[in-house]
Amino acid sequence: MSTGTTSPIDSATSTIGNGIDYVRTKLEVFEGDRLGQIGLATLFVFLVIGIFARPTTIEFLNLTIPGIAPHDPGERAVGGRLESPSAAHPLGTTDMGRDVLSQVIAGTRVTLLVGSLAAFMAVFIGTNVGLVSAYFGGWVDDVLMRITDIVYGVPFLPFAIVLVAILGNSLVNIIVAIVLILWRSTARVIRSQVLSHKQRPYVESAQAIGAGHLRIMYRHILPNVLPLTFLYAAFAVGWAVIAEASLSFLGFGDPNMLSWGEMIYNVYTANAIREAWWWVFPPGICIMLFVMSVFFIGRTLEEVVNPELRHQE
Amino acid sequence: MGLREYVVRRFLQLIVTFWAFFTLLFVLFRMMPGDPTSMFILDGMTPEQREQRIAELGLDQPLYVQYVEYIRQLLTGDFGQSFIYREPVTDIILIRFMNTIVLMGTALVFAYLIGVTFGALMGWWRNSRFERGGIIVTLMARSSPEFWVGIVLLSVFVFWLGWFPSSGMRTTGGELGGGFVARYGSLDFLRHLFLPALTGAIVYLATPTLLMRSTMLDVLNADFIEIKKAEGLPERTVLYKHAARNSILPLVTVAAIATGAAMGGSVVIETVFNWPGMGREMVRAVNNNDYPVAMAAFFLMGSVVILMNFVADLAYVYLDPRVEYE
Amino acid sequence: MTLLDITNLKTYYRAEDGWVRATDDVSLSIERGETVGLVGESGSGKTTLAKSIIRLLPDNAEIVDGSVAFDGTEITELTDSELRKQLRWSEISMIPQNAMNGFDPVYTVGQQIVQVIRYHEDGTSKAEARERARSLFDELGIEPDRVDDYPHQFSGGMAQRAMIALALALSPSLVLADEPTTALDVVIQDRILETIKKMQKELNSAMIMITHDMSVVSETCDRIAVVYGGRIIEIADAETIITNPRHPYTLGLRNAFPDINDDDQELISIPGTPPELVDPGEGCRFAPRCPFAEEACWEVTPEPESYGDGHEVECHRADEVELLQTEAGKKETWLEQEIGRPDDPTADRATAEVESDD
Ligand SMILES: Nc1ncnc2c1ncn2[C@@H]1O[C@H](COP(=O)(O)OP(=O)(O)OP(=O)(O)O)[C@@H](O)[C@H]1O
Ligand code: SF4
Ligand SMILES: [Mg+2]
Repeated sequence: MSTGTTSPIDSATSTIGNGIDYVRTKLEVFEGDRLGQIGLATLFVFLVIGIFARPTTIEFLNLTIPGIAPHDPGERAVGGRLESPSAAHPLGTTDMGRDVLSQVIAGTRVTLLVGSLAAFMAVFIGTNVGLVSAYFGGWVDDVLMRITDIVYGVPFLPFAIVLVAILGNSLVNIIVAIVLILWRSTARVIRSQVLSHKQRPYVESAQAIGAGHLRIMYRHILPNVLPLTFLYAAFAVGWAVIAEASLSFLGFGDPNMLSWGEMIYNVYTANAIREAWWWVFPPGICIMLFVMSVFFIGRTLEEVVNPELRHQE
Repeated sequence: MGLREYVVRRFLQLIVTFWAFFTLLFVLFRMMPGDPTSMFILDGMTPEQREQRIAELGLDQPLYVQYVEYIRQLLTGDFGQSFIYREPVTDIILIRFMNTIVLMGTALVFAYLIGVTFGALMGWWRNSRFERGGIIVTLMARSSPEFWVGIVLLSVFVFWLGWFPSSGMRTTGGELGGGFVARYGSLDFLRHLFLPALTGAIVYLATPTLLMRSTMLDVLNADFIEIKKAEGLPERTVLYKHAARNSILPLVTVAAIATGAAMGGSVVIETVFNWPGMGREMVRAVNNNDYPVAMAAFFLMGSVVILMNFVADLAYVYLDPRVEYE
Repeated sequence: MTLLDITNLKTYYRAEDGWVRATDDVSLSIERGETVGLVGESGSGKTTLAKSIIRLLPDNAEIVDGSVAFDGTEITELTDSELRKQLRWSEISMIPQNAMNGFDPVYTVGQQIVQVIRYHEDGTSKAEARERARSLFDELGIEPDRVDDYPHQFSGGMAQRAMIALALALSPSLVLADEPTTALDVVIQDRILETIKKMQKELNSAMIMITHDMSVVSETCDRIAVVYGGRIIEIADAETIITNPRHPYTLGLRNAFPDINDDDQELISIPGTPPELVDPGEGCRFAPRCPFAEEACWEVTPEPESYGDGHEVECHRADEVELLQTEAGKKETWLEQEIGRPDDPTADRATAEVESDD
């Protein structure tokens, strides 16, 4: 393969550079889009809460930033059992006397972690599969697309449950399960996008001057489909968070990383669903708000990126 | 490529997909922790009995023999014995499968009926308050996991208003017995069905609604819509017979994906409402290492999704005269 | 007898920066069986004028003033349902530019013709309507069995014929043909135009033929209206517009198209771009591009002036016809940098870029 003078790393850097430029110019699209602005603002609030959820020490500055959460979310009996909201515990307590507010705040971090990691990996795989599949065509395309079809035949939750049962219910395994399913839609869409780009003159002229496959794929074509990747990443964050919440709700969450879904699972196992509304509603509303914020952002991007393309999943 | 060739080719793909899915199942379930005899050891099984049991299950055979035997069993619909119930898996799972299909089928039908109409109207009245409000409501529904919608409905309609029963499928009598009519034909059943089905409908409504809206917007820009208006046809005819009819095509493909989502979603919804379906059974089975049941449930769910994808592809060809079979 | 009488019609579009005056004070009347051509650059308002006639306008459009009388009925005052039932298609039909997109792709062409016939004619059976579609196809030179084909199964030219069949299915008194042949190649264009003419004669339908193409109108139209900046700036019988026009814009348009009888003719295009239709202000709208503009042209909007036989011109200098015609034939005239308001530094000077006008 003749990659010319540019290494894949260079292309990757320039690709990312293009992406950032793109995002910068496109941030303007949020002007005048109310829903998009609300989405950005909400996401920002969650980001701040997630980052500063617990006390953080920056060692070389010898600085400790106090956490937002008033209590250790796992500490028992900071209050009475199943106390309804009060000044001391604005969102009440759990059956073990833990502070619900602190749990919600700490859960933000888990959500951010799952959402960003899973979405990044899924979109990374999906984009590459779509790109390679469309660019090389022929049997490569056949094989990759059959695999994609097969993944479309696998229902997510049952698959994730089995996988987590096999590998153990850690956050990493949950993310792996999500990624293994979530890449499929990106792959399909990127593929069809690349197919149309493959025919365009700029690709032909790149071929004419002897650019190698890698260079054409990652340097020439990828920047053009990258906006779509960003769009799918936004949606993927939402789906990943919903997926993690559902798995945790079913009791397959990571017991060491208390997430919003897991909180609701705990309400169920404590048999407190009827009475402890303060324990159920905050995590549920947070899930909904968080996912809504990324969907709002995604919608704004969608109108710009490609009005003809519709997100399907 | 002609239509017939297309169908044949698509059918061959279906078989390959099924084969891949079978293999995935085989690999996944052979990797399950704890061997399938561990449950019996608790019952005070002697090592000899255990050996015998393993031989019975064919687990002492080489892997490829197990694989071939496994495929043979799947094709004959034999999923073995449940470790917990000590009954044939088929007996346990089929009736629960029916319960799931009734629940999720109802949910999907409502999601699509409401979604298509709602989305078509949102597109037709573009830039109206109706459209803007509709988008927000739809995105809200789409942002909520099934269990969250279920819990909200439970809190409002059961715990607060007390209008509906909180769980199960029937108030009295076994949940699984009786013929089809006895099981699904009563008012009591409908009362139990309402909330879980509504939960599914709300969650799955978003995709058809938004997709219908955006394809409507595209279609409404098409020249032929203007011609149909110029023909003097009533607005209703233009909206439903032409605009909506054209916009529905992409929804067919998405319907298959929605079925996939619904199959997975059944696991959650059935858990929330304690619905005696396959999804709830699967969670129970995985938690109890009852692999044969878990595998059969997974197998059925996946099969439904794969078949739906197949049907959707064929339906698309049937509905859109322009499709080129490639 | 007058079939259509448009007087002082104003159709505006609401836009962010004000009203787009796409049809601005237009009067035009059409006799039964007559063909009137509308020519002008892209964006001059031809389509808007035609669509105003059947009120087939987008949501942001509004007929702000004027009247459209069709066979004595005031169209601007009809309710939507009267308009649909009494006029659309049964009296006024249209042929779009791209017929392939004019048919709903999921029904056969026959189904669509049958649908419109049966909607407007109570008591026509499906079989009768279908038979009519078949005989229309036959007359238009399409194999009658092809009524059962889907639109995508037709070639461009065939689809256009099928569209004509649809347009004529109810023998309307007026057909609005919006660039009916632009999408087709030249040889087919001529045949389609002939077919349209033939059918129109048989049915004695009037027609409004919209095009950018002078040669198309000169061959098919009885009268030609030249549209510029939302106004009809010159109208006369086809012969006069081709051989003896008075408006500098018409003269310029004529230069831009090849004359089949004159091989040596040099094609000259009009420099500059079409006028801004949002708040155009007073004065002749062509002045920024007009080589003959004078002081008055910038201040006073020219009123239509009659030159006999229905020849009307909106130009202050239309009387100087000989000068205009001689000068307009020279290439230098249109290259001159004097174009643009000399004493107004803020005025957009038309560039002498030689670009075709579409
Ligand atoms: N929906 C609309 N909203 C705002 N402005 C519009 C709209 N439709 C057309 N216009 C504007 O009105 C003017 C006249 O447009 P129209 O389509 O009638 O021109 P035309 O002569 O038919 O052009 P063409 O030859 O390109 O078809 C143009 O300046 C156009 O930009
Ligand atoms: S009125 Fe003046 S500017 Fe307008 S066309 Fe006539 S000469 Fe030219
Ligand atoms: Mg036009």
